[in-house]
Amino acid sequence: MTEKCFDIGMIQAFLDGELSAQTVDNISHHIALCDSCAMLLIEAEEESAFAFTALEQEFSNPLVPTHRLWAKINDSIESERKPIWQSVFIFFVNLKSNFSNQTITAFASLLIFIGLFTSILILRNDNGSNLATVNTTSKQTGQSAVSPVLNPETRGTIVNKAETYPSAIKIKNNLKPDDSRNNKSDFRAIKAVYVGGENNQSSSKTSLESSKIEFRKQTPKVETRAESENIAGEESYVKTIAALTETVNSRKDEVLKPSARFAFEKDLAVVDDAITKMKAEVKKNPKNEGAKQVLISSYQNKIDLLNSVTEKTELMASLK
Amino acid sequence: MKRTKKITKFGKTTSLLLFVGFLCISVVSVFAQKPPKPPQPKDWKVGRKIINENLIPAEKSIAVDANVNISLCVESGNLKINGWQRDEIRAFVSQGSQIGFKVLQKSKQNNESAGVMALGFDLAKTADAGADECLSGDEIQIDVPPNATVNVKSRDSETTIESVGKVRVENVGGDIFLNNIARGVEAKTFEGDVTVGNSSGAMDLQSTTGNIVVFDAASSEIGDIFKAKTNNGAIILKDVEQRQMEVGSNSGAINFSGAFLNGGQYNFGTSNGSITLAIPQNSSLKLNASYGYGAFNTDIPLENLIKSMPQKAQNLSGQIGKGDASINLTTYSGALRIKKQ
Repeated sequence: MTEKCFDIGMIQAFLDGELSAQTVDNISHHIALCDSCAMLLIEAEEESAFAFTALEQEFSNPLVPTHRLWAKINDSIESERKPIWQSVFIFFVNLKSNFSNQTITAFASLLIFIGLFTSILILRNDNGSNLATVNTTSKQTGQSAVSPVLNPETRGTIVNKAETYPSAIKIKNNLKPDDSRNNKSDFRAIKAVYVGGENNQSSSKTSLESSKIEFRKQTPKVETRAESENIAGEESYVKTIAALTETVNSRKDEVLKPSARFAFEKDLAVVDDAITKMKAEVKKNPKNEGAKQVLISSYQNKIDLLNSVTEKTELMASLK
Repeated sequence: MKRTKKITKFGKTTSLLLFVGFLCISVVSVFAQKPPKPPQPKDWKVGRKIINENLIPAEKSIAVDANVNISLCVESGNLKINGWQRDEIRAFVSQGSQIGFKVLQKSKQNNESAGVMALGFDLAKTADAGADECLSGDEIQIDVPPNATVNVKSRDSETTIESVGKVRVENVGGDIFLNNIARGVEAKTFEGDVTVGNSSGAMDLQSTTGNIVVFDAASSEIGDIFKAKTNNGAIILKDVEQRQMEVGSNSGAINFSGAFLNGGQYNFGTSNGSITLAIPQNSSLKLNASYGYGAFNTDIPLENLIKSMPQKAQNLSGQIGKGDASINLTTYSGALRIKKQ
């Protein structure tokens, strides 16, 4: 570190883009030459990136309440700080001393049984409440449709139910029955509620009927996915980037020198900024072709950027 | 009383067993969910370097097929590969490693060596399985037949290759200069510039932190693609006559100077940098430009101009001449400019 080194406050301001162009230029020049400042910047960036990643995930889902967001962030920080195995170990050590007391042992066993029993009950209730949520949301749209392929004997029943699931039936033709059958747990939940609600109806249900009911459960998920995608294929871009980021994060310290690391983080920040702003623009105005084009280009740039680190790792490994 | 004691003992043991069993299951499930650690890259230095005695320059040659494929890796030093009018490979290393050739494949037509690997030790002298295969030295010079294909991997080397058939070069660090390459180029450096001149064929040029400069380049076959990508540097293209081009810089400007070919497809993109096209006034192209925080201006008037409403990201399309070539310009933050050549 030299006399010209900047403090963490200045570095943070640099990251947040709060400095003048001249100062930014000075800091950039200095960091490119000073390893200690570069490391300081990387640390600050990592902290910011961690917080912003958590925030971004939450903000991308408008249905998530704020208190849940905070709880999730706190949990993430807590889990980062304290490894699970440590908690288990401490618990186990405490347990050893407590087992001398017979009453505590018996009480603990009782607690486990109660806990298991309660969790089974909660799980069952959860399945039921899922359906209830679907029911409530669909009522708001208030549309109805008739499935033309249903058994005439049960058609009336299904049509009545369809009124409560209009959005589901509306796009049912886009789904393959095989796909929906794969989700066995969902199917079980739906079927349980459906049979419960129709106790006085005929007890024999054909597989065709069952598959139709499955559609209702599946459809809200499909709609949500379509709405969350700003551009075609965005999900695959996001998945690729997530996978590459994981790989790069585990290796970049070994592969990149501080100066290269600084350049990499700077480029990444530029691309991330482009993605965030263009994503917001496309969300605001889905017909903005310019924003879509820039967004796709930015995704591609980010993939190329992350790939460059992976390729460097591979080349270094091959030069043994 | 005895029976009560027995029951108490039984209850205690059962509870203890149940509790320990539950804990074991919990611990096993927690560890089973932990993802495996990704494989770590190996350390660079593995082989033992074989140095020439008293650092005497090493020189060696081998007769090869005219279309030989030569592979080598370079640990450090300036590498110069040159095409000469002989069906022979000659290698020279000063102040560094020995030289050896390993024949990987023979030609079916004349039984000459068609696949050769240049090594940092002499196989005849050193039967050392642990020897470093990479060449190293102050200067490394290799002469190859003009139609040869050259494959180079290097750690830290300034690489210059001239007058050969085809080149594939990857540098961890160091500039790459390529001149008069006939059938295509793949060049990648992670720290350094890439310069290509008077060459033809498909080209794939990449730099992580460096500039890319290409001049007087053309395709050699229909379908040849030209790609140039840098993360942190400028791209300068002069008289590059290729029909399919993908040019991108993350943080850096792109300058294209030359003519677009009829029926060509050209894509230029930056995240943070300007794109300037200096083209003849009689060009024939269809233009599609998308820009976020940037501006567009042209010295050549665009016909059939369609421009989106002013907003955060804009889209513009237009035509010059008959519109034979298709040009896409994309920038997030930078100026787009079309100039008269």
